[in-house]
Amino acid sequence: MVLWYRSEHNYDFNFATVSLAYFIRYPNPFASHVLSDDTIERFVDAEGKLHSTRIIYKQGKLPRFVRPFLKKVGGTWILEKSIINPQTCEMQTWTSNLDHRRILQVHESAHYKSKSLNAPSTSVRYDVSFSSNFGSWGIKDRIESWSYTRFGENLNKSKKGMFFVMSSLKEHGWNKLREMQIAIKHQPIVEE
Amino acid sequence: MSASFAPQCTEKKKSYDNCFNEWYNEKFLKGVATVNECEDTWREYEECVQSALAEKGIKKMLDQAEKEAPFKKNGVLTGSEEVSFTKDSKN
Repeated sequence: MVLWYRSEHNYDFNFATVSLAYFIRYPNPFASHVLSDDTIERFVDAEGKLHSTRIIYKQGKLPRFVRPFLKKVGGTWILEKSIINPQTCEMQTWTSNLDHRRILQVHESAHYKSKSLNAPSTSVRYDVSFSSNFGSWGIKDRIESWSYTRFGENLNKSKKGMFFVMSSLKEHGWNKLREMQIAIKHQPIVEE
Repeated sequence: MSASFAPQCTEKKKSYDNCFNEWYNEKFLKGVATVNECEDTWREYEECVQSALAEKGIKKMLDQAEKEAPFKKNGVLTGSEEVSFTKDSKN
């Protein structure tokens, strides 16, 4: 079984701010489990769309009941792709975990859209799927529903993080945001 | 901004990110970008990250995920577009 989650949201910021905030959203106070992000590919295609691929490293969050099946509990690598079309003011993003894929695959896609570059709001729709290939004893279903349940909470945090970055950009400017980001400390590893 | 996963690349990442973000905001979005002005910082950063990826054995994981990715068809995120666009058009 694959579980799906859909959610829509509206940011009261223009597309320029939202799309820039997407690139510079880490660190923020709501993502202290994110340790690094790296761009590994970036190009502008023939139609003028910007393609980026990044890898993000987060503190691991997997349910306690799968722990016996793991060699070690560490962080999780996330692959992130994004395509930005500045003409139509659309941004399509996609993320998925790179490791522990047999236990759980979370595919999250988001479609951001605004009427124009400076229109005061940007809408976003998230479509997320959870699937486990774990083979035994109903654990697969448990893993999927565990992650599904947690996801609403996680999505909330990532919206808050984006909001923090966007409102700081708007109110204090970029330099001040940078100073604020430097001051953010990472959380020590917390086992759940 | 965040650090690089490879500490030795963090400074190079910062130079590149600063250049890119500025370019994105000031030129790309405004439609006045004609060339990639961050080529120099990118080359240094990319070289550093790629060798760290290979060293850490992350490359293999990455290639596997790219292969399994449901979205990549001619560089378009097809998996998500199917969801976002086909359902819209039915409404």
